[in-house]
Amino acid sequence: MNRRNFFSLGLGVVAISMAPSTLSAINFRDTMPKAWTASKVEEGMQEVFGSSTTVNGKVKLKAPDIAENGAVIPLTVSSKLAGSKVAIFQDANPESTVAVFTVPENGIIDYSIRIKMQKTGNVYAVVESDGKLYAASKTVKVTIGGCGG
Amino acid sequence: MAKKTRIKAKLKKDIITVKALANHPMLTYREAKSAKKEVNFITYMTATVNDKVVYEVSTSQFLSKNPYIKFKFKGAQKGDMVVVSWNDLKGTTQTSTGKIK
Repeated sequence: MNRRNFFSLGLGVVAISMAPSTLSAINFRDTMPKAWTASKVEEGMQEVFGSSTTVNGKVKLKAPDIAENGAVIPLTVSSKLAGSKVAIFQDANPESTVAVFTVPENGIIDYSIRIKMQKTGNVYAVVESDGKLYAASKTVKVTIGGCGG
Repeated sequence: MAKKTRIKAKLKKDIITVKALANHPMLTYREAKSAKKEVNFITYMTATVNDKVVYEVSTSQFLSKNPYIKFKFKGAQKGDMVVVSWNDLKGTTQTSTGKIK
């Protein structure tokens, strides 16, 4: 490969990486790489929201008390807050952050998702609204781990 | 090629409820090690209606296999198309569409 080709290749890569993948969307995988390797819930919160001080209440987290199969744990997070960001954490797996939602315009905070957990642990749902963090947590007992452990 | 994401969208009293089932193995680092496969999971998912983002989530490997998501939003009509797309760790992107009923 000669020098000119190499240079234009570099430019092309830059152009691709700069192009917005979706309209107003933010991929937190790219913007917050540290949040995904945090092993503690507080660290994860700190990375995602810049704070780990939360107020309990105003957020509903639905999760089973006992999950027979740790590979499929249905979770539902709902809130009437006009939140801008919602995140789910748990403390059973090696990394704590599970998902970060951005609430778009016209969005309603009512998200269901299925997660897996290696062992019994706590699930946390955090909603950011007006700079404050509202949280809910629940202990889920896992009888069979679902992380290949 | 992997199967498409199954999408069901329903309009009720101005609120659209979307249920989507993506087809993805969602291998965590541990699972991949024991199964001797490469790590791969969905890292980012979005849904748009009429070019407006109605749902977006960045996810980790702890979503269940073949992730199921449910969400609600306002401001769309019957017959509009919901476009759900995801990216995974290997850079694969898949886009599927479903009509609001």
